[in-house]
Formats: sequence, structure tokens, C-alpha cells
Amino acid sequence: MTGRPRRKDWEALGLEPGADLALVKRAHRHRRSLYDKGSLATYTLLEDDERTTMLSRIDTAYRRIVGTEPFGSRLGPFGDESTSDRSEAPTGPPPDSHQEPGAYLRHHRLSQGLTLQQIAAEIRVGAAILAQIENEEFEDLPAPVFVRGFVLQLARALRLSDAEELAGQFLVKMVG
Amino acid sequence: MIEEFETLAATGPRIWAIGGGKGGVGKSVIAANLAASMARTGIRVVLVDADLGGANLHTLLGMPTPRINLSDFIARRVTSLADVMAPTPIENLWLVSGAHALLEMANPNFGQKGKILRHISALDADHVILDLGAGSAFNVLDFFLVARRGILVVVPEATSVENAHHFLKAAFFRKLKRAQPRRQVRAAIGQVMANASQRDLRTPRDLISKVMAVDPDAGAALVAEASTFNPSLIVNRAEHAEHQRLGEDMGAACRDYFGIRLECLGTLPTDRLVVRSVSQRSPATELYTQSPFVAAVRGVAERLASPQWRIA
Repeated sequence: MTGRPRRKDWEALGLEPGADLALVKRAHRHRRSLYDKGSLATYTLLEDDERTTMLSRIDTAYRRIVGTEPFGSRLGPFGDESTSDRSEAPTGPPPDSHQEPGAYLRHHRLSQGLTLQQIAAEIRVGAAILAQIENEEFEDLPAPVFVRGFVLQLARALRLSDAEELAGQFLVKMVG
Repeated sequence: MIEEFETLAATGPRIWAIGGGKGGVGKSVIAANLAASMARTGIRVVLVDADLGGANLHTLLGMPTPRINLSDFIARRVTSLADVMAPTPIENLWLVSGAHALLEMANPNFGQKGKILRHISALDADHVILDLGAGSAFNVLDFFLVARRGILVVVPEATSVENAHHFLKAAFFRKLKRAQPRRQVRAAIGQVMANASQRDLRTPRDLISKVMAVDPDAGAALVAEASTFNPSLIVNRAEHAEHQRLGEDMGAACRDYFGIRLECLGTLPTDRLVVRSVSQRSPATELYTQSPFVAAVRGVAERLASPQWRIA
């Protein structure tokens, strides 16, 4: 698992513990822009390395919050171990990695007999996000810069040789 | 000196100090307009031109250069600060002018500062608004720190925000230095600095929590001192919707960085009527009641005058 969110994670996003997912997402986006290099409000408040530390605190907090219950369980079938997540190993060739990078990833995961939760535990990215990647639910995913990292980690966990390329393709489809 | 002043301040008028590091951001114009706006509602206000060396509030209020000013008080030509108070064209509003202060006055010594502060807190008024000069010199910081609230004025420009952050850091550390008992606090800070990596001590807030870990008493002293540092913010010359967020965003960043609350009192829009009012030598609140700037200033004045506002 990604670990339970701590009090300081909520604080890092300026939220009360238990705030709902939409608020968490908005707060994360806002905090990211607040500590962006070009932000007026934090101009000269922080040194470059302090800024980097602050951003990584924000991202870690976000991942811990989004990666844990109850957000994971709200997802329905794809966040739920009991259904399609654990279905039979797929037969036939994998989908095209350019056309359907999400389905391509799911094909490889299922053919290795892995659940989203197992991968989530290994790479410390929430099962909810992994499901969104497989389903190509671009609207619900965090900013592309994070998604690239998540896809990369997912692909590497599946020992795919074209992980870098796949992450690139996923982003092209996401922002395109 | 400051501790003694704080006791006095609990019973005297509410004192607001307007500062903010950078010159030309509108501190004096805002001070004059806030004061005029409050006075019009029947509140007795004394404006103190503490921009020692660069005073010009009398001009903004349409007054001739006052005959008596702060330097007469410092030089003991008058015995009480109340004798320096001059009535203004606005009912319920008085001015303590700093105009024509002697050059050495721009940097009053310890005793002079204490005397000014004692007399300010003994003024017979409901509110005192101190218009501080630009910069982060110790005497500006001290006036800022002893006020009920220090109010920082920024405009949405990188240079102004930069100076404001510099000012806040300087004021914050000057405040922490007062944590008692001084020897014990200093020893605990020394121990933390010796044992912690750079990475662990990113912000003043980190420092306080580390001190807490090695010496809970010293940590508690720092927390207590930091918790009474509650400056407020006014964003002036806002033009875009994006500028409307600046105050709130700076507040969020200050909470993360210092662990303090920096409340935004209001965002004042750019308004050409303000420029016109300055050349007409009267606060915009007196001349242009429909101006968006005036409406925003009134909102801030109402908050300052609200009885709910307690010493933080």
C-alpha cells in the first residue's frame, strides 16, 4: 500500500482530514501552482531546493491521500479486487500500445496474474490511479507530469521493455 | 521596553501599523483612506506619520505643514505626544505629523522609541494608525511588532512580493529572538543546528518543531512567541482576477513556511480616481464615494473597527 495519509499530508495540501476527492484534487493543483517557479505569491520566499522539497511534500501527500481508501473503493469494478481486476488471463494478442496504451497495460498485468492492489503495493501508486490509467480516464487523472511517472512505474513493474515509450504514448493520447 | 508597552496596549487604543518593505506601494495613501473612512463613522482616529524622514500624510489630508511634529516631542519642546496631535479637515481624525523631522530622527534610539510607543498607547483615541516607512530596519520592525496588528501592503509585482517576504522573515526572527528564557532557547537552537541536516531545517516551522523535540520548554517558548506574530496583508493595485488570489496565496505559503497566520484584509483595485485624489490633496474616501477603491477600503476599515477583532 502507499501508506495511510498522515495529518501532515492533509496539512501539506491545506485541507482538513477527510476532505473529498474533488477538493483534494483542486487543492493539489493549487498547491502545485503556488510553489511553481513562476509563482508570484512565493517569489523569493523559498530557495530553489526548498521549493523542490515543498513540491515533493505536496506530491507525496497527494499520492498518500488519493492512493488509500475510501477513494480506491469508490472506483467500482476496476478498483475492486473481486471483479474484473482478477479476471482470467487474457487470450489472444495484446492490444496496440499506440491505440490503446491503457488496455495494453491491463493485458500484460492480467497475463502475469497480477492484481491492481499487488502492483499498487509494489510501486506505491494508488490502485485507484492505476485503474484510471488502464481505463484511460484522462479527466480524473492528475497532471500529465505525474501521470507519466505513474505509467512508467506501472510498465516497469510489468517488466515491459518499452516502458519509456509507452509512457510517452500514454501522455500523447492524454493531452492530445 | 516592548513587553511593558504590550501591557499598556491592552487598555489603550487599538494600534495598527502599516508597513511592508517596499516604497511606493501605497502605504500612506491606504493609511490616510482607512483613517478617514473610520473617522467618518464616528470612530476617533489618530494617524501617526511614523515614516520618519519621508513623512507626507499632511499633504494627503490637505493640510499645511503642521507647526508641531514628532521631532518637537523627541526634542522635548512639547511634553506629551497629545500636544503634537493636530486636527485635520476630517471630523474625528487627528494627525501626528512626522514632517520635518530631524535627520537623526530617522533612526530613533532605544529610549526615544520606547517613549514614542508609551505615548501612543496613552493617546485618547479609539484607533491609532501608524504609517511606517519603507524598509526592514529594526525600528520599523519594532513598531510593526508592537501594534495590535502589523499590516503589510503589497502590490502584485515581483519586487514588492520580494520585499514583503524579506520583511516578514526579518520580523519573524526578531520576534523569535524575544522567546524566554533566552539562554535556554538559544542553547536548544544551537543543539538542533549542530545535529540536523540542511534538509531537515527547510523552514522556520521545521526549526521550531526540531527545537521542540530536543527541548520541549524551549520549543514551547518559540511556539508561544510565533503564535503572537499575526501580521495581516492588504493587496493594493489589483488589476486581474489573478491578483485577487495573491493575498490568499501568500497567506497559504506563509502558513506552510513560517507556520503563522497571515490574513488578507482586503484587495484594493487599481483606480485612477486614487491618483486624482492625491493631487487634489484629499483622501479618495472623501471625494469619490462611488470608486471601487473606496468601496474596498471601507470593507477593510469595517473589519479593523469590528469589536470581534481580538489580540491574537
